[in-house]
Amino acid sequence: MPESPKACWSCGAARAPLEALCPSCGKVQPPPPPEGVVDKFATMGLSRSYDLDERALEDTFRSLSRKLHPDRFARATPRERRFSLEQTTLLNDAYRTLRDPVKRAEHLLALRGVKVAGEERGGAAAMPQEFLEQALEDREKLLEAKTEGGPEAVARLAEGVRGKRREAMEEIARALREERPTQAQLEQASQLLARLRYYARYLDEVEGREAEI
Amino acid sequence: MALFQIAEPGEGRAKEACGAAAVGIDLGTTNSLAAVVRPDPASGAGKPRALPVDEGSTLLPSVVAYTGGEAPVVGRAARRLAPDAPSDTIASVKRFMGRTSADPETRRLSPYRFAEGESGTVRFEVRGRTVTPVEVSAEILRALKVRAEEQLGMPVRQAVITVPAYFDDAQRQATKEAGRLAGLEVLRLLNEPTAAALAYGLDKRSEGTFAVYDLGGGTFDISILKLVEGVFEVKAVGGDSALGGDDFDRALAESLLSGLSAQRTPRLVRQAIDAARAAKEALTSRDSVEVALGGKKRAVTRAQLEEVIRPLVERTGPPSRRALKDAGVPEGKGLDGVILVGGSTRVPAVRAFVRKLFGLPPLSDIDPDEVVALGAAVQADLLTAEKPQHDVLRLDVAPLSLGLETMRDVVEKLIQRNTTIPTSATQEFTTFADGQTGMDIHVLQGERELVADNRSLARFRLSGIPPLPAGLARIAVTFQVDADGILSVTAREQLTGVSQSITVKPSAGLTDEEIERMLLASIEHAEEDVQARLLIDARVEAQRILKAAEQQIENNGDLLAADERQAIDAAMQALREASAGKDHRAVQDAVQRLDQVSSEFAKRVMDRGIERALKGHSVGEFDKGELSPHAQKAYSALGGDALGTVSPKGKEH
Repeated sequence: MPESPKACWSCGAARAPLEALCPSCGKVQPPPPPEGVVDKFATMGLSRSYDLDERALEDTFRSLSRKLHPDRFARATPRERRFSLEQTTLLNDAYRTLRDPVKRAEHLLALRGVKVAGEERGGAAAMPQEFLEQALEDREKLLEAKTEGGPEAVARLAEGVRGKRREAMEEIARALREERPTQAQLEQASQLLARLRYYARYLDEVEGREAEI
Repeated sequence: MALFQIAEPGEGRAKEACGAAAVGIDLGTTNSLAAVVRPDPASGAGKPRALPVDEGSTLLPSVVAYTGGEAPVVGRAARRLAPDAPSDTIASVKRFMGRTSADPETRRLSPYRFAEGESGTVRFEVRGRTVTPVEVSAEILRALKVRAEEQLGMPVRQAVITVPAYFDDAQRQATKEAGRLAGLEVLRLLNEPTAAALAYGLDKRSEGTFAVYDLGGGTFDISILKLVEGVFEVKAVGGDSALGGDDFDRALAESLLSGLSAQRTPRLVRQAIDAARAAKEALTSRDSVEVALGGKKRAVTRAQLEEVIRPLVERTGPPSRRALKDAGVPEGKGLDGVILVGGSTRVPAVRAFVRKLFGLPPLSDIDPDEVVALGAAVQADLLTAEKPQHDVLRLDVAPLSLGLETMRDVVEKLIQRNTTIPTSATQEFTTFADGQTGMDIHVLQGERELVADNRSLARFRLSGIPPLPAGLARIAVTFQVDADGILSVTAREQLTGVSQSITVKPSAGLTDEEIERMLLASIEHAEEDVQARLLIDARVEAQRILKAAEQQIENNGDLLAADERQAIDAAMQALREASAGKDHRAVQDAVQRLDQVSSEFAKRVMDRGIERALKGHSVGEFDKGELSPHAQKAYSALGGDALGTVSPKGKEH
């Protein structure tokens, strides 16, 4: 039997498609049919914003988990158990995205229809040439530092990249805080997010080195 | 269309009749326990307690002796039979759960006889028949069930069974099957460290971030949890599913045996392992102990034991550090406590190591042998009671990453390790040949880049893809991990609406028919030559790699100095020779050697590709697929993963 996104399957009361529990009888509801990009802010009952209070986000996650988690539905009907599984899956996914500033920024862009540069095939080719050249140079320096420079040299390089990452993050945040960002601002943010991936990979490699020591 | 294609779970979960109990079971490597939460008739409050299930003790040794009688003997009585029937008495069966007969576990020091089964599952030969680890575990569970029923005076039909957090999908499935075979409805599989934290958290009413260091008989688990307002959120897990006190015993047994000239019969091996275990236990409170073996007596000191086990204890360090990092807890600070679980944490050297590792004195005020079962009982109560005794919730994670084989034997991860469960992920793929109607889906679990280094969970074939020009079909592969940490995978073709979904079972698991057959009787199974299959696989792989290497040398040989070229040629020749032989491990080793000597070359080839790209060639011209795994790794480190997704292996039909 198809479930309506507008009415509770159990008591028939009207509900909003995003409400996980029926406002009238409290039964768990099926998640909304997937259409385009799922608004993960809405999944957690939040409005779209780059600036989130981490503590409040955590509290929201915990209180929603308490209501929706499959452990709460072990005695329920198979249908409710399935809805609980689906709702909790969506909730976990939303929380994973929103608590990470980079993923949160990517999601905000996705909600505005902007893809992060470099996601599609041939994406690296879309990166500016100076950046790719700089990237190659950075990596060569890292390899050199690893073989010859020792831990201090590696740490210095990592600090440099961390600085770049911080700056990029701040700029992305500025663009996403704009009430009405221009397409150019969004494109710029998307470019910067693509760079962040490179920085993250670079720092992973540094940490791999640190773990070896 | 619903995102999830999971099957409606079985028949409705019948509400447990009044006067039946749901128990928590710790199905351990060395000992198993059953615990239950019963409300106190006077106060209504209920605390979990472990039930005396074996000769007055709460610990049931996980030992099953096949005597030729109707039912096998379980527990202490079985352990007493072991010296005289070492091969018919199975101890530590948990180490074999979900493993295949090619697993290294079957080659360790042990007194068992192994047979090979049709799905590659480990089988023990006992008393003229074969039994699987699932069947042996089911005997332990059945004994617990019956004895718990005697203790409680009421039927036990439902259970929460604990598993090491680091158990993979096959091991979890095997555990669930064992429960089913024992006549239990398995309400949940609960991770052991999470269970321990439940027991501790409730007892201490504490909040904060805790590490649970769980070193049992056969498995090591580390979990980092955050406890806030009754929610136990697992942040990260790690471990080694083949490391525990048994290895301490075997290491010490090896050193005892090496001092003897007697031939190593199964009986002597059994005696050596038992003597080692007794010595290890005695040495937790004494500095020296006398051991008699093979007609000789010798003294073993605590220092000697610590020397022998040190490398094993130290193996718990790297997974612990990785879990802290994954949880975002800085080393040396940020932890509010360390909880010790598992009998092996009684070993003083282990405690000292933990204290040093985390910089905190570990907590062990709940009996480390009982704590997991007590937590499981709390969870069973939470899941079944009208009004549970405690208002808590646990949020667990997937211990290992889950992914798919893509072209060139590389794994594409869909779900990363330490993702909170339940979770799901969908990835779209397309066909790469015109008119392609089928696609092989290979599901893998693990952290490594290459297919061969990960655990193969399942292979299946999606057929019935409508014949379309290459690249037009859209096949969505969805992974769903449920609250037990068990995975189901579905694949469907999206574009034409023609859809097909398949739920898979793990490769090393047992089929429903197999289970049915086991329930009836044991049947002789046709033997399959696992070794031969491994050899064929290794040869195919070798051919593929040789061909790729030849091609790279032809196209980019100018990048090699003469001596480098020589080294690569020699490694290739060695691989050809190994391929002609009969030892699959020799072939694998030769592949690895070739990989090593050619890694620098691969890097140069990759650099050349990048250089070309920077000069204005499209990166797409550079065939990523022709790179060695090393080059691919280097490539993706450079941002290469943004160069396009690869399609799963497919064959034209």
